[in-house]
Amino acid sequence: MTSAPSLWAEFDQGDLAVAGALFLRKRGMNHLDAFTPYPLLELEEALGVKRPWLIPVLVLLGASLGGSLAFVVIWWTAAVNYPLNVGGRPLNSIVADIPIVFELSVLGAALTAFGLCLALSGMPRLSHSLETLPGFERTSIDRFWIGVSDTGALEDPSLPEQLQQIGALRIHRLNGGVDREA
Amino acid sequence: MTTVGALDAGALPDRLLAPADECELLPRATDDRSLTAELLGKVLQPPKWLTPAIAITGALSSVLVVCVGYTFITGIGVWGNNIPVAWAFAITNFVWWIGIGHAGTFISAFLLLFEQKWRTSINRFAEGMTLFALVQAGLFPLLHMGRAWFFYWLVPYPSTMSIWPQFRSSLTWDVAAVSTYLTVSVLFFYLGLLPDLAAMRDFAPERWRRRIYGFFALGWYGSVATWRRHRIAYGLLAGLAAPLVVSVHSIVSMDFAIGILPGWHSTIFPPYFVAGAIYSGFAMVLTLMIPARRLYNLEHIITTAHLDKMAKMLLVTGLIVTYSYAVETYSAWVGGDAFERHMQLHVRPFGAIAPIFWTVILCNCGTPLLLWSRRIRRSAATLFVLSLFIQLGMWLERFMLIVSSQSADFLPSSAHGYQPSLIDGAILGGTLCFFLFLFLVFLRFVPFIPVSELKALNQELGAGQ
Repeated sequence: MTSAPSLWAEFDQGDLAVAGALFLRKRGMNHLDAFTPYPLLELEEALGVKRPWLIPVLVLLGASLGGSLAFVVIWWTAAVNYPLNVGGRPLNSIVADIPIVFELSVLGAALTAFGLCLALSGMPRLSHSLETLPGFERTSIDRFWIGVSDTGALEDPSLPEQLQQIGALRIHRLNGGVDREA
Repeated sequence: MTTVGALDAGALPDRLLAPADECELLPRATDDRSLTAELLGKVLQPPKWLTPAIAITGALSSVLVVCVGYTFITGIGVWGNNIPVAWAFAITNFVWWIGIGHAGTFISAFLLLFEQKWRTSINRFAEGMTLFALVQAGLFPLLHMGRAWFFYWLVPYPSTMSIWPQFRSSLTWDVAAVSTYLTVSVLFFYLGLLPDLAAMRDFAPERWRRRIYGFFALGWYGSVATWRRHRIAYGLLAGLAAPLVVSVHSIVSMDFAIGILPGWHSTIFPPYFVAGAIYSGFAMVLTLMIPARRLYNLEHIITTAHLDKMAKMLLVTGLIVTYSYAVETYSAWVGGDAFERHMQLHVRPFGAIAPIFWTVILCNCGTPLLLWSRRIRRSAATLFVLSLFIQLGMWLERFMLIVSSQSADFLPSSAHGYQPSLIDGAILGGTLCFFLFLFLVFLRFVPFIPVSELKALNQELGAGQ
């Protein structure tokens, strides 16, 4: 939503930001986004963020891939490509494979989880389209931003004032990256 | 971007917050901004002692470089180990260092999954310790191979020799376990660090600092969806790291347990080693944390309540270790294996290694009993001293385990004692200095208290607003 024209409200308290989000949702607005210095569960609920199912599923896939790769490599090298008789023990001894298969499954899962968390959030990136909002950098310190890009919200002249009554410090209008005080 | 650094950095009082009540896990009501200013200020304006301390430990680390270089050039004949005692210092150090790392993962992963609030102030500290301990640990198996420059032979790669690693050997399990553990620890550490690096980027007054922290923050901005993904991925990584704590040291213990030497060939080894690892690791966390919290004036962030909880963990793991010693000895006594019985009931308690055996019992079984006392658990100075004893005890335990079994196995003719060389001692001392050096560098440049997590906890406990 950050490339579309949008309206951004800055709050200095988490509960006010939650109130602002609930207010916008009540007004029937659905294209909402928010930035906070720490995870705020109430805000997630207020914005109706869905539980992302993709990460857990792909992490399971990553784990399976890692484990399978380990097993195939061990089996092929020890039992097919270069069979070596060590005291008459089975060439493909599955019990002895357990530690490496387990470790590689964990490795595959961890790399997938980390990579997905970054990639789905657009990281790594050199710049962010909201950096033009004055004071936006305080979002990592103590400020909460709520953004709305529904056309109804942008056309409603009374919305900034209503948000300020809830407790917004400042309201900004962002037109394709260009900021203008609302 | 506006110069947001001017926001607070100019007006950073030394002590923004009054010391909190001893029982609290958080500073008393404080807002997000002053909490950020205080905690990031510790990194932006480091205490005066830090730079000389980094210089001294860095200089002393050169001992490690010199001794490792000498070992490389001359060969591991410069060490004291020889057949039959082929493992000695190198593997003792490996097991000890990797065990120390486990407490960091335990604190950050297990305690996250159990939703223990007291982990928040200390987890990054402990994770940093894990990484730096693993760096030391990894050095020893590499050197111990003799020809460390062929370390890649342990990885299955298609080579002209058309030969593969022997995966039925526990040495290759170690490679998989340790490298996975190191990678997952780095990912876990870095993922947790991202929001704080972003805070650093936005808070630092100087442009060059904002650039550097901005580079490492990877463009983090905490949108609701990003936080949600972060929480899920962080939770998953914790869930993945938790079994690693158990599996890695279990695999390390299998290096011993799958051997048939008396004193090693025992099924109790995996749980016994894991408990011992967490035990020594918690001791190391206390050794590092107690001076740091005093020198950084962090008594209101890392409170006496934290020390008390850590001491209770020491007590529990110490008792598990004591129980393991008892079971090991009892099994030898009733087990009917004459060699095992000789090892456990004669060689260790009454042989040449007896002084070390009894020091181990005193340090590892006696010391934790003091922690039944609430007064001792809440005394930083006493805990610091006890933590040193426990670490000494745990190092000696591994040393005794390795040397006694290898120096007296089945045939009297193969019995041979062990004498460490000066280089052995210098390498151990060198890793200690290098570990401290890395840790101090970490304190100097990385937000070592998780700021965003503390702010979230602050908000959750209703103190923030």
